[in-house]
Amino acid sequence: MKKVILALCNLLLAMPLSYAQHKPLLYDFYEIPQAIMLNPGMKTPFQWHVGVPLLSGFSMQAGTSGVTVNDLFANDGLDFTTKIRDRVVNSMVKNDELGGSGQIELIHVGFRSRNRPDDYFSFGMYGEGFLSLFWPQDLAILAFEGNGANIGRRFNLNHIAMEGEAVNVLHFGINRSLNDAWTVGARAKVYSSVFGFRSANNTGSFVTLPGQDNILRNTIDADVTLRTSGVKEFLDIIDEDTDTTRRDLIDKFISRSLFGGNLGLGFDLGFTHNFGNRGHVTASLLDLGFIYHTNAIENYTVKGTASNEGVFIELPEDLTNFNNDLWRDLVDDLEEKVPFDTNEKAFITLRPIKLNASLRYNLGASRNAIKDCGCALNTTSSNGAYMDYVSAVGGHLSMIYRPRGPQAALTAFYQHRLANTIILKSTYTIDKYSLSNIGLGFNLQAGPVNMYVLADNLLGYANIADSNYASLQFGFNILSWNSN
Amino acid sequence: MQRFLFLWICLFLTLSCSEEQDFDQADDLTLTPTVASSIFYFESDEPTINLADNNAFYQEDFTFEAFNEDFVAERVLDGVITYQLENTTSKTLSLIVQFLTATGAVLDTETFTVEAAPTALLERQVAYGDGGKPLDILVNTRVIRLTAENLGDATSVSSSPEPKIILRSSAAFGIQLR
Repeated sequence: MKKVILALCNLLLAMPLSYAQHKPLLYDFYEIPQAIMLNPGMKTPFQWHVGVPLLSGFSMQAGTSGVTVNDLFANDGLDFTTKIRDRVVNSMVKNDELGGSGQIELIHVGFRSRNRPDDYFSFGMYGEGFLSLFWPQDLAILAFEGNGANIGRRFNLNHIAMEGEAVNVLHFGINRSLNDAWTVGARAKVYSSVFGFRSANNTGSFVTLPGQDNILRNTIDADVTLRTSGVKEFLDIIDEDTDTTRRDLIDKFISRSLFGGNLGLGFDLGFTHNFGNRGHVTASLLDLGFIYHTNAIENYTVKGTASNEGVFIELPEDLTNFNNDLWRDLVDDLEEKVPFDTNEKAFITLRPIKLNASLRYNLGASRNAIKDCGCALNTTSSNGAYMDYVSAVGGHLSMIYRPRGPQAALTAFYQHRLANTIILKSTYTIDKYSLSNIGLGFNLQAGPVNMYVLADNLLGYANIADSNYASLQFGFNILSWNSN
Repeated sequence: MQRFLFLWICLFLTLSCSEEQDFDQADDLTLTPTVASSIFYFESDEPTINLADNNAFYQEDFTFEAFNEDFVAERVLDGVITYQLENTTSKTLSLIVQFLTATGAVLDTETFTVEAAPTALLERQVAYGDGGKPLDILVNTRVIRLTAENLGDATSVSSSPEPKIILRSSAAFGIQLR
């Protein structure tokens, strides 16, 4: 066990952390119907549920692993350029990330099968978007200081890494309780990409060295690509800048959301496995899928190698064949060797795969003890296995694939039930940059009405501008619990 | 349980506070990188110098629009042009670099005279902008005229292997990106 924990810690510390799209408060919070979107194989204590349209699931997350808003914009009397130089250019590294994500459920409905009560079906539609920008460390230094102050320094172009998209998702999932020990689930998704962009796996460098013949030699070796889809359609509308621009943008957004954009397919998988009377483990793999981008594509590439030591005049060769357009020839040669091109080639993007795993241990009472507690809340699932608890502790590991590889977050949680109507969940998330991320979740069950609010990194709210991360999720549902 | 609730209440009381922020300071950001590049390289061997009928064995104008590219012309704050002159021939030589407008008007002239070999590398830095020559010289330059003159005889040959006159040049500009 120690080896497993040590391996997990090493894995966590070795990887850059991303705050975006990790949802440790919601994961396995199975009294909240939206938790099934994070693990289609979670326990489902509902007979049915209906999310309040547009309000059933809303989440926003934003984070930066480097500088905070307060670091730069605090009214502290310091020179702003000095703050940028000291706290951004000279401090942030290529793995520092500025990221954010948001999700809003349009429809979310679930129901238990009458013919086969062990099955719980859920379906719906949601829109989500995310942005992940890695700090282009070398290019920022080049822009701030220039190559003249960095003779001999190689500026790596692989520091360019960014990704973002807005996508509408139609989904249908099935959750099946196989027996007292196992619950499994799967979800199929159809993606409709509104717009997206991605630049990753770039290579190359720019360097200025003492020249072989002349004083300086600038060399660029570039293989940089930015793929976009849908972006140009929105930019064109903005460029038109007419009286109907706002309306046109909304219409375009809606049309591309409703399968007028680029389409894709994906799957979620997950399970829950009970052990003993009190514990269970879960795992899920989300967004195992792709989007095939075929329309509204605009890709940009810079690819090639060139060196430049200025205009050359060498006698006697240039005595008779002198060309007065040496400068234009130099520029043309550079543009030919390192062309900036655009194309409309179709491409496939893999969805940012997310992996979750959790271990949970119930406290206060075992399943069998709760069975006879006479509590108002129904506590059995369709097959009679107990779903309820008084309190619970556990851990959760989540990982997401990003342009610089997988990113992880490790969370410990404590969950407690109050009077069968309120459930509180507190989390403590550690990562490479912060040891003080405390989150709290609140779930209220008032009759058939379910309401939840989940917020991460609450200590950061004392000075939100100085926080590296902020997150908020809430939603409203109408649901019916399983009968005894 | 009461302690748990108390913790909750305390933590929520801390919500949504923020120190005063001044986002207008972003307007004060200045980005002034130094952009450096070679400009031109001139080289002539000694037999070519000896071929000239008169003192000037070479004179040509060539377009050079690096300084007045919009990116540079609209943002340049100051600049330094560095010249290096190396002579391994048996001649005393003179090289004249002139910056011209598109219509041929001379904006600036730099004259270099170098003794016959053996002689040390001649390096000269010419500043433009703050404390130096006017920046307008660079911004309006469209053509460079290079003149090379032989101030010695037309027959002697250096005993050095591959005797040459070489003029190297580079520029470093402070650019106001923001």
